[in-house]
Amino acid sequence: MSIPFPSLDFDPEIVWKFLFNSVILEGAQRTIVVAIAAQVLGVVLGLLSALMRMSKNPLLNVPANLYVWFFRGTPLLIQLLFWYNGVPQLFDNPDITRELTSFRVAIFALGVNEGAYMTEIVRAGIESVEAGQMDAAKSLGMTSAKAMRRIILPQALRVIVPPTGNEFIGMLKNSSLAFAIGLMELLSASRSIYVVNFKILELLAVASIWYLVMTTLFSLAQAELESRLAVGVRERPLTLFGRMTEAFGTARARFR
Amino acid sequence: MIRCQEVHKRFGRLEVLRGITFDVAKGEVVVVIGPSGSGKTTLLRCINHLEAVNAGRIYVDGQPVGYREVKGRFVEKSEREVARMRASIGMVFQRFNLFPHLTALGNVIDAPIHVRKLGRSKALEAGRAMLAKVGLGDKLHAYPAQLSGGQQQRVAIARALAMEPKVMLFDEPTSALDPELVGEVLEVMKSLAREGMTMIVVSHEMGFAREVADRMMLMDEGVIIEEGPPAQFFNNPRHERTKLFLSKIL
Repeated sequence: MSIPFPSLDFDPEIVWKFLFNSVILEGAQRTIVVAIAAQVLGVVLGLLSALMRMSKNPLLNVPANLYVWFFRGTPLLIQLLFWYNGVPQLFDNPDITRELTSFRVAIFALGVNEGAYMTEIVRAGIESVEAGQMDAAKSLGMTSAKAMRRIILPQALRVIVPPTGNEFIGMLKNSSLAFAIGLMELLSASRSIYVVNFKILELLAVASIWYLVMTTLFSLAQAELESRLAVGVRERPLTLFGRMTEAFGTARARFR
Repeated sequence: MIRCQEVHKRFGRLEVLRGITFDVAKGEVVVVIGPSGSGKTTLLRCINHLEAVNAGRIYVDGQPVGYREVKGRFVEKSEREVARMRASIGMVFQRFNLFPHLTALGNVIDAPIHVRKLGRSKALEAGRAMLAKVGLGDKLHAYPAQLSGGQQQRVAIARALAMEPKVMLFDEPTSALDPELVGEVLEVMKSLAREGMTMIVVSHEMGFAREVADRMMLMDEGVIIEEGPPAQFFNNPRHERTKLFLSKIL
């Protein structure tokens, strides 16, 4: 590629050559696996943490608040490095250290970090459900736990899913930070090739193309999921309030 | 069936219930009226412990609500015990509060299956019967969003009845409805009353009250101003406040 940038040393043929390279593909696969596992962990932690944060019991809401504050307030890269280097030191046991592979630590660190962000998303989802729903559930004899599981959370999902999809797209990309702890994900795979053939830009282009493929495919899947979730329930019950906001077409009426 | 003794309820510094004492006998229908802010909704919410009282006692069918009596002292009940008690106190809300992610039938059978642990087929049978009773036998699989306000409220009544409550509490059940839809809900409530259900109804539907109430009760600023049978209450109110209120709404 000498025109229009004569000094740019970039050979698209090399990009094509390495696009389906087995090391690259393995790296991409590992990226997907780590991202999915970490996101699941993040959602679970986020749910627990959101419930704890919403509790009136300080034994529950204080640790949850500290968790969110700390893991949102420090760089993910530092967290990865801390877990990877710090945890083995806690045990000082070679057998345990051997089990703490980059793969497992990456999933854990990414998941714990994600949980802090998911907390807010889950909390917003739960709070978006009208207070009357909990009243009705309780008046039928449900404990708040049962009401939460059967009535509140299913409705909260409608508000939780879209931002969670965005979080997952971020997770796919954030997983690249795990190269710093030795995980052979997509970025590391492309690095392992360019440190040998020095074709840095081409290999980074290969990695970028795969990241784009993954994030784009997922975005399409998310759009499909969202439109399916909206099919069963078209709009909120037509209470007087609902009718008024519908008439004025405010964001409230469109917000699910 | 329901007994309130000197019930006080405060929200922060705002005193909403200031010494409510009254009884409701089994099978009695009491209609509560009063201006907004008088504490009518709060009173209902205290009866099924959706709100905890600050002072006083409430008993439903002889059992203290929210508290257990242990050796003469009152100990707060666990959430599970309160939930169990709530299962026999039915409540119908102004805004229906149907579960939008479940069909009409789904709404009605959910609590019997998951709270009363009734088998699914039994619950379905009972649910279908209950919905037919409120006139919605053909709407079993409709979602709340597909139903009119009156239909939704009737589902809400069926849902509460499906738990076989001893008492039904109605918090302005028709206030959020279009006028044409009010009648169908009141009909259901009237037949419920005729069947002998113990009911406390907060409502402004005076026609309904005159027809069905055994007793009327006026509340204002957290106290009961007057109570009595409808004939005496409407035609010969004793208190000035009652006369004033009735003149404004009749």
